[in-house]
Amino acid sequence: MERTFKRSVNALEKVFAFIGEFFDDEQIDGNHLYAISFSVEELFTNMLKYNVGASRDILIALRKLDNRLEVRLTDFDVDPFDITKIEEIDVSRPLDEREPGGLGIHLVKKLVDRIEYEYVDRRSTTTVIKMLG
Amino acid sequence: MLDIRLGDNGEIVITGRLDASQAERVESFLEAIEEPKIVDFSDLEYISSLGLGVLLKAQKRLTGSAGAGLTLVNLNKHILDVFRYSGFDRIFEIRPTDAE
Repeated sequence: MERTFKRSVNALEKVFAFIGEFFDDEQIDGNHLYAISFSVEELFTNMLKYNVGASRDILIALRKLDNRLEVRLTDFDVDPFDITKIEEIDVSRPLDEREPGGLGIHLVKKLVDRIEYEYVDRRSTTTVIKMLG
Repeated sequence: MLDIRLGDNGEIVITGRLDASQAERVESFLEAIEEPKIVDFSDLEYISSLGLGVLLKAQKRLTGSAGAGLTLVNLNKHILDVFRYSGFDRIFEIRPTDAE
């Protein structure tokens, strides 16, 4: 199941509705909905933030394979942005050393089982995999 | 859909979903808070990383000026997980749900 979405945070409501629809159709345990919604929002908003010159809609594809859920976000005609290469942040630091931001990718890594990145023909694709066991 | 308001006992009540499209609204509300507050998450279904950033910003300001900050109550399991993974359980006072 795949769909394209406008490059705007205002598209998030439709993105979440799309994910909910997929969960209903595939009868996926709702306990996984938070992790998937969080991951998709993080990847989607990163594309908005870092791929500033891009104009094409963002493609989101959801697929269930046995006990595995794959979520793929593709941004077209953009420079590479590989979230798997982003350095880990130190979440044990005290309040006065913490700054807003930088947390999202760390949390996606915690919430899903695997993250893959591919860059081909100026097409940037991030895939997250969540085991449904 | 998100709503943020002051409850009957002066606590902050957030309901709905705090995603990137709503973070600015919550940030504006929290900027007007000048004393330690309880924040009731009973009806908050979801919070994104941007929402966490907004809370962190408020916490830093309040602990710096008011000496104490936000106390979070009634977090659902998923939100509590996200706070733990973020290390925010050491930055905020978090009280468990009545059921726990």
